[in-house]
Amino acid sequence: MTKRKSDLTKGRGRSAFQKFVSSDWGRLLVIDVVAVAIMSMVSKEYLSTFNLFVITRDVSTMILIGFSQAIVLAIGQMNLSLGAIGGLVAVTSGGLMAMWGWPIWLAVLVGLLIGVLAGYLNGMLIVWTGINSFIITVATNSIFLGLNLGMTHAKPFYNISATVKAFGQARFGFFPYMGVVTIILIVLMVILLKYVVFGRQILATGGNWNAAEISGVPVKRSVVLAHIISGFMAAVAGMLWMSQLGSAQPMIGVSWLLPSFAIPIIGGVALTGGGASIGGIVLAAFLLSIIQSALVHLQVDPYYVQFLLGLLILSAVVLNELGGRRRRA
Amino acid sequence: MGIISRAFKNIGKNWYRFGLFFVTTAFWLFFAWRATGFLNSFNIFTLLRFASVQVMVGFAQMIALSAAEMDLSVGAIGAGVAMFVGALMQLLGVPYPLAILLGMLLGATAGFVNGILVVKTKINSFVITLATSSMFSGIMFITTKAKAFTVLPQGFVDLSRVWTFGLPISPLVWIMLVVAIVLYFVYSATSLGRKILAVGANRRAAEMSGLRSSKIRITVFVLVGIVAGMAGIMDAARMESAGPIIGTEWLLTSFAVPAIGGTSISGGNVVVFGTVLGGILTGTITNGVLLMNVSNFFVNFFLGLILLLAVGFDRLQKAYRERTSVK
Amino acid sequence: MKSGKSTFILLTLITVMAVLLSACGGAATQPAPTATSAPTTQLKPTATAQTGKPNFSKIRVAIVPGGPHPYFLPMKPGLADAVKDFGLGESVFKSPAEWKLDAQNQLIHSLMAQGYNAFGIFPGDANASNAIVNEMVGQGIPVVALGGCLNQPTKTSFCLATDVAQSAYLGTKALIKALGGKGKIVHFTGFLVDPNTQKRINAVKKAVAETNGAVQLVETIADVDSQEAADQKINAYLAAHGKETDGIITTAYVPSTVAATALRNLGDKRIKMVGIDDDPIVLNAIRDGYLVGTMVQNPYGQAYVGAQVLAYLKTGCQPKADAPHYIDSGTLLVTKDNVSTYKEEVKTLTKRISKTFVDKYLSCSK
Repeated sequence: MTKRKSDLTKGRGRSAFQKFVSSDWGRLLVIDVVAVAIMSMVSKEYLSTFNLFVITRDVSTMILIGFSQAIVLAIGQMNLSLGAIGGLVAVTSGGLMAMWGWPIWLAVLVGLLIGVLAGYLNGMLIVWTGINSFIITVATNSIFLGLNLGMTHAKPFYNISATVKAFGQARFGFFPYMGVVTIILIVLMVILLKYVVFGRQILATGGNWNAAEISGVPVKRSVVLAHIISGFMAAVAGMLWMSQLGSAQPMIGVSWLLPSFAIPIIGGVALTGGGASIGGIVLAAFLLSIIQSALVHLQVDPYYVQFLLGLLILSAVVLNELGGRRRRA
Repeated sequence: MGIISRAFKNIGKNWYRFGLFFVTTAFWLFFAWRATGFLNSFNIFTLLRFASVQVMVGFAQMIALSAAEMDLSVGAIGAGVAMFVGALMQLLGVPYPLAILLGMLLGATAGFVNGILVVKTKINSFVITLATSSMFSGIMFITTKAKAFTVLPQGFVDLSRVWTFGLPISPLVWIMLVVAIVLYFVYSATSLGRKILAVGANRRAAEMSGLRSSKIRITVFVLVGIVAGMAGIMDAARMESAGPIIGTEWLLTSFAVPAIGGTSISGGNVVVFGTVLGGILTGTITNGVLLMNVSNFFVNFFLGLILLLAVGFDRLQKAYRERTSVK
Repeated sequence: MKSGKSTFILLTLITVMAVLLSACGGAATQPAPTATSAPTTQLKPTATAQTGKPNFSKIRVAIVPGGPHPYFLPMKPGLADAVKDFGLGESVFKSPAEWKLDAQNQLIHSLMAQGYNAFGIFPGDANASNAIVNEMVGQGIPVVALGGCLNQPTKTSFCLATDVAQSAYLGTKALIKALGGKGKIVHFTGFLVDPNTQKRINAVKKAVAETNGAVQLVETIADVDSQEAADQKINAYLAAHGKETDGIITTAYVPSTVAATALRNLGDKRIKMVGIDDDPIVLNAIRDGYLVGTMVQNPYGQAYVGAQVLAYLKTGCQPKADAPHYIDSGTLLVTKDNVSTYKEEVKTLTKRISKTFVDKYLSCSK
């Protein structure tokens, strides 16, 4: 509140554009747009329908992976097991379809239920034992992955429903069907965190545990709820990946850990909790996807890919930060 | 003398911290009883040698955590330093003690780059080191084309291979213990250690009380770089090969080992010997579960469960201790 | 209240512990001979029977792949057939739960402790695995590398593997032939930290170079060994350069399946592709005409011949002085013509290698 006031006094006479750039996610949006503009000049296929589809579809799942971590970061905790939850959900719902011919809606429902249960387990273990969320979820990560491998013996389920396979490829123009699921969840997250009591309680818990407790926020319930939402998001992401890949691969989720942190943090979510910028998360997911696809479009030598990836991420976050600092100065 | 008596006083005051020690011992007894070949001297030798590298990786992250920072580039630094040392020995014939020293210098440089970037840009160290991690391993790929160095001098390889004092203990274990003692000394008896912890506990408060936090934070990253580099060099000695595979699996380990040992993820406190036990405990559990012939695909499942149990017992007796002490 | 909570946690922990112990105990007792097995010692050559058919009943072979991967699955029947055909003792195929060198090393240690006395391993790291091989050979346990070789100097007696460079080279040749000798191609491959990746990159470049510019390599994309990364990068490539690309060569398992799926989703039969390995996705894509073919390796034969050779090595045979260390386990181009029969071809190939191996490469003191 006070910050906004000081902004007003300092920023007298600034144009709407300047205000927009100095908003939380405005800078990220500018960086995203500039990056796309540069790429569209360099590579003539960058704005092709198919490429926009590819990027948007990747972003659809990355946003959910970001949400899954962000909601737990918001209460000042972490969830290292989200990738394992995604993989476990993908193989169980895929397996139910492939092995027992369950209808899609039921398999998806069971998948979501497993995600929610896994999140509930994480939350309850943390609340009951009082052990750091990091350690609990390192352990449950191993447990969920072990269940996955124990059931599948690392063999994928190929014969998932054709409708599910088609869903992962379907699009309106460039916009993937999968993106609709993500948009619905984005809207739900905004409503949850802005207008629903227990959503705001989650943020309050992260902001200051003791203060929240004293002012009557059911802190423990908030923790469990945050982990349930995290498990739910991971479950949806896992099933979307199954649909995109066209088979239920046991290794889904193994590579989610770093992006799950990178997206919210680049998007402005603090590791110490108390906030979650939905717009920032969405734009950060776009930023990472744009950078990764740029490296493919530019035909970079494979030995240089890692270095350039790091350099581009660094440049983007530094630009973002500098833009923010000028505002404060 | 003062340090030693202080150490003893610390032990007396914090005896409940030894819960982890009891848990680890319990697992040793259990595996000795149930897991065929656990007490085989060869098994003990490789287990401790493996654990000593885990502990070093844990130390690197522990130092970062103590100042409320994170360093995701420990693996990339470890690999880069190990390959640099390997190249010095294999291509230039540099004697191995000198090569190791130069490697630690490279680790310090990488850490310095991290530190400067974190302090100057004011961006979260998580994001900065995520990017530099990619850049460090990128530089390693570009310069070495990911080709391992395997013609290493005998003396270097012996650091991992030989038994010391007729015991199944590799010199790597002693190196790790020396580093542990040095770190314990730094954190408990030097002003640097106290300053790091003060910055980690509450940076703003530390700054207001006159500490130059940026200098301290850069020092922290330099220390992380040195220790991560040492871990890489030790891993190269252990595997008798300085290759790009080093460090690829360190990320979770680096956080889990100090966290299990009782170091807070959010900064301000360290438990040096807890980290040692944390590394040995995770190494023991992995080793024991494999020895017990659990269906291989369920190994992960049991690893997770046992980790949960181990930490659970530790915390439980701590809670018990706290409750009884109140009474 | 507080003590109630603690009691509850304690009870939960004890229950879980009890379940855990009973589960572990059950698992540990399953392979019955484990606990009573003899310690690993060099079996005397006298174990060889005079009848010409040697007695291998005390040979206990363990085959340990690098991690869970469908590629290794045919090794299990390969080992089982060898146990049957050569009369080996109780043998085991056991995979580490994760692709971690340390997990593999620890698994090997535990199998040694359980009395397995001959090892076929897929080296978790071509250099670093030499350390554990030295330890095994030092204890009189013969080791052969299966599926991938260790770098020299190594104490593995033989390496039975696909020549990865040769496989990538032949695959690229087959692709170039399918393209009619000209066009633009792309190469998708695995982790850069894997030394085989460099061999594959170079082999593809070599095959392309031999066309004197008629075929161009547009791009080499590495590090696509995770499903998600493969899907992202391969589709990004197809979006960027799909129109100008005539052919795809993949030299790693995951990008092979993902690229085959991507072509199917695009409905694109213009782009020709040669894959690697025989995942059902790849085989179906060949049947339906989306792929020209795939380079199939021979893990079945690696395990079969490997177990056979280990038995001879353990009973006193030595590699001949002039025997090569690396033995090609064979690679096969599977196309629409032989997609339903290639498994038989692989077995025939295996029997051929097996029949001549002992005479050709081993010297046995009778």
